[in-house]
Amino acid sequence: MMLDTLVKCLEKSTADHVETRYHRRQTLNISIRDGKMDELNKGFVEGVCSRAMVKGSWGFSSTTSLEEKDIVKGLKDATSLAKASKPKKRRMAILAEVKPAEDSYTTKMKRDPRRADQEELVRLVKDTDANVRGFSKKIVSDSVVFSVIDDDLAFASSEGARITQRIVRCTGRVMATAREKGNLTSAYESIGEQSGLEVLEKTPLIGVGKVAAERAHKLVSAPVAPGGVFPVILENKIVGLLAHEAVGHCSEADLVHGGSFLAGKVGKKVASNIVTLVDDGRYLGGLGTMKYDDEGVPTEKTVVIEKGVVKGFLHSRETAYEFKVHATGNARAWNFEFDPIIRMRNTYIETGDQSIEELAQGIKEGYFLKGGLGGQADFTGEFMFGTQEAVKIRKGRPEESLRGVTISGNAFAVLKNVDAIGKDFIMRAGMCGKEQINFVGMGGPSLRTRVMLGGVTK
Amino acid sequence: MSLQASTRLAMKMCDKLGADEAEAYAQRTRTVEVVLERAEIQSERVKVQQGIGIRLVKKKGLGFAFSSDLSKTSVEATCRNALNLARTSIPNPDWISLPTVQKLPKAPTGTFDEKLASLSGNDVLRLAMRAYDAAKEQDKRAEIDDGKFSATVSEIAVSNSHGIDAAQKGTLLEGFLVCIAKERGEVSSMAFEYDISRSMKFSPENIGKSAAEKAVASLRPKATESFVGQVVLDVDTASTILLYPLMSSVNADNVQRHRSLWADKIGEKVAVPLLNATDDGLLPNGIGSSTFDAEGVPRQKTPIITRGVLKGFLHNSFTANKEKRKSTGNASRENYNTLPIVFASNLIVEPGKKKLDEIVSMVDEGIIVRRFSGNVRTDSGEFSGIAKQASYIEKGEIKYPLKETMISGNAFNALRNIVAIGRETRPTFMNSYVPPILIDKVNIVSKK
Repeated sequence: MMLDTLVKCLEKSTADHVETRYHRRQTLNISIRDGKMDELNKGFVEGVCSRAMVKGSWGFSSTTSLEEKDIVKGLKDATSLAKASKPKKRRMAILAEVKPAEDSYTTKMKRDPRRADQEELVRLVKDTDANVRGFSKKIVSDSVVFSVIDDDLAFASSEGARITQRIVRCTGRVMATAREKGNLTSAYESIGEQSGLEVLEKTPLIGVGKVAAERAHKLVSAPVAPGGVFPVILENKIVGLLAHEAVGHCSEADLVHGGSFLAGKVGKKVASNIVTLVDDGRYLGGLGTMKYDDEGVPTEKTVVIEKGVVKGFLHSRETAYEFKVHATGNARAWNFEFDPIIRMRNTYIETGDQSIEELAQGIKEGYFLKGGLGGQADFTGEFMFGTQEAVKIRKGRPEESLRGVTISGNAFAVLKNVDAIGKDFIMRAGMCGKEQINFVGMGGPSLRTRVMLGGVTK
Repeated sequence: MSLQASTRLAMKMCDKLGADEAEAYAQRTRTVEVVLERAEIQSERVKVQQGIGIRLVKKKGLGFAFSSDLSKTSVEATCRNALNLARTSIPNPDWISLPTVQKLPKAPTGTFDEKLASLSGNDVLRLAMRAYDAAKEQDKRAEIDDGKFSATVSEIAVSNSHGIDAAQKGTLLEGFLVCIAKERGEVSSMAFEYDISRSMKFSPENIGKSAAEKAVASLRPKATESFVGQVVLDVDTASTILLYPLMSSVNADNVQRHRSLWADKIGEKVAVPLLNATDDGLLPNGIGSSTFDAEGVPRQKTPIITRGVLKGFLHNSFTANKEKRKSTGNASRENYNTLPIVFASNLIVEPGKKKLDEIVSMVDEGIIVRRFSGNVRTDSGEFSGIAKQASYIEKGEIKYPLKETMISGNAFNALRNIVAIGRETRPTFMNSYVPPILIDKVNIVSKK
């Protein structure tokens, strides 16, 4: 229905090219902390935006009104902004050709959360909370949150694209805090998929709660890992952070254009032969999966690095034209308040064939790093992300657990040092902030390399 | 509908629905922003965000519903949703009450600026361009990677069933640039500079000049040996590393949940006597200043640390009720669609007497860190990350920029190892006012 309104409004446009998007985001949040109900929230945010191009200059405007007159006004505002800012722009935007799609897509799901029994979901969160707190006497505080983010999108362009998408994402997070003799530590674990509530059968929240509780319990009185460069195994759950932070950002065409580490490196070797890294817009269940991006371009599986060699970058229609390649469907917007920018979707390193034991065998003295925390990267490829736990490895054997620290390195040095890849592939849910935040998938198997640990110096 | 009309309508509706208690919080923000990317204007946007969030209590069960639609039908439907959620919710035994009416203070000065409120996209663009030109003028080797300048006008209305019925508005101007420097094939690390203000007292030239200076100063970096030593934390870094754990530890919600290491330390020494910290929600021109907080409770000034001794915690009405005390007016909401949490209004670290270069001259062997890219564990205090735009200091002099250097330590230990506090204080993006701080016994990790 909204699509028809958008199409009708488009007819009034005087711009060279125009796109309108409708976005309704409905969210449900259930949160229990320390055994007590903290939040039961539900609501929606909706609106329409227009992006207009006049002689290679973009203008953008958004409104929370769904009335035709306001949408048309937004369209006019976008058009006049495009005209007004034209003299200040040195670069003319030209869009790569894309066949306008007329299509509709809905997240593949078995249990649609719109028909969910809210009481049942509240019970599930409550049970998880009870389990976390019951894990040991050291657990003094916890919080368990389950959220459903249910998006309705409509896209229409002056080229004739007519697309509707419904994208449903379910996420769960657990935090457990342990205390012992004046020491305190917290551990975090999460689940998340683009799917219906069946995600809870695949990755039960209770199981996630147990991992967090166990980690907090184990590390509360543990010392902090040392500082320096060490051989490490990065756990499958955090390899996605390496793929995303360290490499992914450098392959976004806007950053490539700005001179990122990967600029001018197509066809060149930047990683070890066994590393293949892709950004996949269609990964089943991936948090960043969409059939069409927010420019109406069909998404695809884009190979960034194949067997160590750079194959391509992530593009919007504008950068695709500049780079003389096809648009990869990476232009994404957080909601109707933002214009689309180049973003990753589901970024991962492809699986290998080794077991964790085999990966450990190659390490005389090093660490098995587990549990991710926040990360960031410069476009020179220098990256960092936090780890929660560092298990000491001596002569190939895992020994005591230490508190994890932030690790860093140059992404491409780290990728060149990858000498073995595990077979325990996993796709994880993540959030990425680049001017505007967005949902992404990050994945990979455990692997062995060398990184710098920002820990205690002797 | 005006914001206050919508919150009042919601109160009538909740009353009709038989709510034990209810609160409506409505917000409208208009932001004009200019995004720079790849050294060019990437986009100019005018964003209007608005909506209402309704908290409804029925038999100690709490429901919260929100909507971006402020029409009568939508507001009423949102009230009904809140009631349904309250019924589904599990009663919380800790729930006492929403806040009651208190006399509001005089509005802090300098929180609304007519001129700022009327800035157009073109005006904001001109500010961005001034910063851009200043960077270029500073040094030819400097290039702008990205940046964003925005002018925001926000209006808020809160009404609750105990008679709170208030509205306020404010303005905010923010801008940042990320600069890199290029020289003979070498690319420096990314340097960041910003300004933030409630009025037009804002300097895009400083942003550009300083971002370029920092980027150029980080060219030709060298590695150093790993050692334990003194670190000069510049404003942003001091704020991230020291204040996040401090704010987390004085947050009464964390205190009550056994997540604060300072839970039983009121009246005890938690930092060096040099340190004085206050939360002041009424600070003139303050980034986080307002007449009342996100629950309609008056803002106030709350001592946190006096001469190194812990003095008090920050409360919203929920945490205050649990201890039968008064809220400190620190309820904070990110937006209309979130519930109030406890957060600092303006957390002010009292500046010292020494200038930054005098502080540097005190260091025998150490480093200065101008940007920190890492993680800070707010509850346990561990910090660990890359020291960006960092330089090696020897015998009181800055010697050379550092590469591949990380720092780590514990913020609670660091507060006891403060050697000096600088005088150049400025606001940060996390509602704090912090000067540069010199700390001792930090792990400095390098490749060598």
